[in-house]
Amino acid sequence: MTLVIDGVTKRYGPVVALDSVGFEVEQGQVFGFLGANGAGKTTTMRIILDILRPDAGQVTWAGQPTAQLDRSTFGYLPEERGLYPRMRVLDQLVFFASLYGIPSGQARRDALGWLERFRAPGLAERRADELSKGNQQKVQFIAAILHDPQVVLMDEPFTGLDPLNVALLREALLELAGRGRTLLISTHQMELAETLTDSIAIIDRGRLVTSGPTREVRRRAGRSIVRLAVAGDRELAWAASLAGVRQARAGLDVTELTLEVGVDPQSILHAVLDRGAAVTCFEVADPSLEEVFIELVGPAGAVAQADRGASDPAPELGSAA
Amino acid sequence: MIGAGRSNTLLVARREYAEKVHSRAFAVATAILIVVAIGAALIPIGLRALDRGSLTRIGVVSGDPAVSERVIGLVSAYLNPVPAGVDPATVRPHYVLSAEASRETALAAVRTGHLESVLEVTIRPQGGLDFVFHGNDGPTSATIQRLEVATFGAAVVEYSDGLDHSASGPAFHVPAFDVAPTGGLTTVAIDPATSGSRTLLASVLIVLIFLTLTIYGMWVASSVAAEKASRVMELLISAATPRQLLIGKVVGVGGAGLSQYLAILIPAAIVLALQDPIATALIGPAGPGEAPLVGLTGQILVAFGLFFLLGFLLYAFVYAAAGSLVSRPEDIQQLALPLSFVSMAGYFATIFAMTAINSHWVAVLSFVPFFSPYVMLARVMLGHVEPWEVGLSLGLLIVAIAGSAWLAARIYGAGVLLYGQRPGVRTFVRVALRPNGG
Repeated sequence: MTLVIDGVTKRYGPVVALDSVGFEVEQGQVFGFLGANGAGKTTTMRIILDILRPDAGQVTWAGQPTAQLDRSTFGYLPEERGLYPRMRVLDQLVFFASLYGIPSGQARRDALGWLERFRAPGLAERRADELSKGNQQKVQFIAAILHDPQVVLMDEPFTGLDPLNVALLREALLELAGRGRTLLISTHQMELAETLTDSIAIIDRGRLVTSGPTREVRRRAGRSIVRLAVAGDRELAWAASLAGVRQARAGLDVTELTLEVGVDPQSILHAVLDRGAAVTCFEVADPSLEEVFIELVGPAGAVAQADRGASDPAPELGSAA
Repeated sequence: MIGAGRSNTLLVARREYAEKVHSRAFAVATAILIVVAIGAALIPIGLRALDRGSLTRIGVVSGDPAVSERVIGLVSAYLNPVPAGVDPATVRPHYVLSAEASRETALAAVRTGHLESVLEVTIRPQGGLDFVFHGNDGPTSATIQRLEVATFGAAVVEYSDGLDHSASGPAFHVPAFDVAPTGGLTTVAIDPATSGSRTLLASVLIVLIFLTLTIYGMWVASSVAAEKASRVMELLISAATPRQLLIGKVVGVGGAGLSQYLAILIPAAIVLALQDPIATALIGPAGPGEAPLVGLTGQILVAFGLFFLLGFLLYAFVYAAAGSLVSRPEDIQQLALPLSFVSMAGYFATIFAMTAINSHWVAVLSFVPFFSPYVMLARVMLGHVEPWEVGLSLGLLIVAIAGSAWLAARIYGAGVLLYGQRPGVRTFVRVALRPNGG
C-alpha cells in the first residue's frame, strides 16, 4: 500500500499554498516531510486528511482517494496541540478513540497501556490543564495513535520534549513503523529526521524541492564532505584555498571541508599530501540533511522561517498554511 | 471521509452535555432560575392578595342621614359579596362606605387621602334619587361600573319602600349617575379582569424564551470558540466531519439547556397547575368578582415547547457558525451582538404586539422565522389564531432551521481552521460565500 500525493495544488485567493506537489510514501516507512514554516506542510497534511480539499490533484491511499476512506484510517498529531483543558486525560483519550469507532473499554485499556509506556500512568486521572507541556504532548500523541491508524501524520512531534521523551517517542514511532504503520512526520529537527526517516520530501513555498530515500537525497546533492586532520596543524588555515573546496570549518579534532559539486574527494587528499602534510584523519561523508536543506531551500527559505517564527504561527485566511 | 456518522454526532453531543451539566456555573444558574421561576409562578396569587388587601373607601353624602344609611347598606352588600358557603365574618370587605356630613367635608377627606371617592346622593323633591360619583376612576373602572348597578338597585329599593300600596304613586325615576373627577390623588385599583394572569403568563414565557435563546445560543458559540482556542478543534476535525461536530454540539448544548429548562419549568408548572389550591391555602378562596388565576393550558405548553425548541435550533446553528469564526473566546461578543439584536428585536416587537395582538403587522411577524418563536407564541396565548397559521409558522421555522444548519456547516467547516480573523459580520458573510477561501 502506498500513500500517493499526486499533483496537489491549493490556492487561497491569489496565494498559491501548494503548487502541484507530489510524492509517495510506502507502507511501513517513516517519511520525513521537511520545510520551513509556511512552506505548505500543514496544508498538505490537512489535504491528506480531507480536512481541506485541493484545487487540483488528489491523494490516494492503497489506490483509494482519501476522501472516500474511513477517518480512522488516519491518525493526526496537529502542530498546535490542543486538549479539552478541564477534561480528565483518560476521558478525553477514550472520547477521541471512540470518535474513531473504538469501543470505550478497549480504548481505556490501550490508553492506560500507552501512558504506562510513556512512564506517565499517573496522568490518567489528571485534568489536561494541570499537565506540563511535555506531558500534554504525550497525551496528544496517544490520542493520535490510540485507534491504531494505518497512516499517522505528525506535525512537529518532537518539539517541546526533553531528550528522554524524545527517545521514548522515537522508539514508539519505530515500533509503529515496524508493525507496518505508515508515518509521515514533519520536523525541523534535521538530525532526528536524518536518523529516523527512511525517505524524505523537502517543500519550499508550496513547491516540492526534492524527495526520495533519505540517504539518496543527501548524496544527490552532489557534493561531498571531507573530514581532515593533519599532525601538528589544528587550524588548517590553508584548507579553504584548496581547489574544489567551497568552505572549511575548523572543529576540535577535525576540519570539515565542504567540496564544490562534482569534486572528487581523492583530489583533495592528493593536494593535501602534495603540501607535505602528515594526514592523521581523512574521512569522506555525505552532507548532513541540515546542509542539504539549507542548500536547497536557500537563504530565502531560512528568512521565511525566521519571519514566520516571529509572527503568529496561525495562518491568516488567504495565506499559505 | 465516511465516518461513524450518527454515533459520532451522539458522542460529541454526549461529551458536550456532560461537560455543560457538570459545570458549577450550570448548577448555580439553574438553582437561581428555579427560585425565580417559582416566584414568577406565584405572582398571580400575589397580585390577587394585593388586590384583595386594597381597600376602597367611599364617602356617602345626602340630605337625609336615613337615606345615606340605607344606600350604604345596599351598595356595600352589592360591592362586597360573600361567596356561597363562606362565613360572612371571615370575608374582608373590598369596599368600605361611610356616611359623611357634607359634600365639602367629604371632598376634603378625598384630598387628604382619607377617602378614595365620594358618592353624592341627591333626593329629588318629587321623589327618586340621583347620584354623582366624585372620583378619578375612569369610566371603564370596575368600581364605577359596579357602583352604577348598585346605586340603581338602591334607587329601586328606595322607590318601593316609599310606595303607598293603596294608591298609585309617582312613576319610578331612573336615577342619574354622573362621574365628576376630583383631581386628587387616587389609588388605581388593579382590575383583575384587565390585568388577566394570561397576559402576565405570556410575558413571563416570552421573556423566558428570549433569555434562554440568547443564553443557550451563547453557550453554543463559546463552546465552539473554546474548542478552537484550545486547538482541540484540529484533532476533532480530523476525527469527525464538521457536520457531525456542529450537530453534536447543538444537540449537546440544546440537551443541557433542555435539562435546565425542565428543572426550572417543572416546579414552576406544578405551582401554576396548583395555583387555585395554593391561593386558597395562602389567601383564602376566590371571590366571585375575581378573574381565574391560571391561563396555562396544555395547548400553551405544547406551543411553548415547540417554539422554544425550534427557535433554539434556528439560533444555535447561527451562533455555532459565529463561534467558529473567532480565534479567541473574548471575541464572540462582537459576532454575537448583531445576532442578539435580531433576537431582541423579536422580543421587543412581541412585548409591543401584546397590546395589539390581533393587528395585521403582528400576524405578518408571526410567520417570520427569527421572530415567530416569540410572536406566534404571544398570538397563541393572547389572540385569535387559526390552526393553519400555527402550522405555517412552524413549517417556515423548520425550513429556516434547515437553511441555517446548511449555512452554519459551510461556515463552520472553513471557520474552525481560520485564525487571526477580524471577528465581524463581514467575515461571516465572506466565509459563507467562499468557505474555501478561494
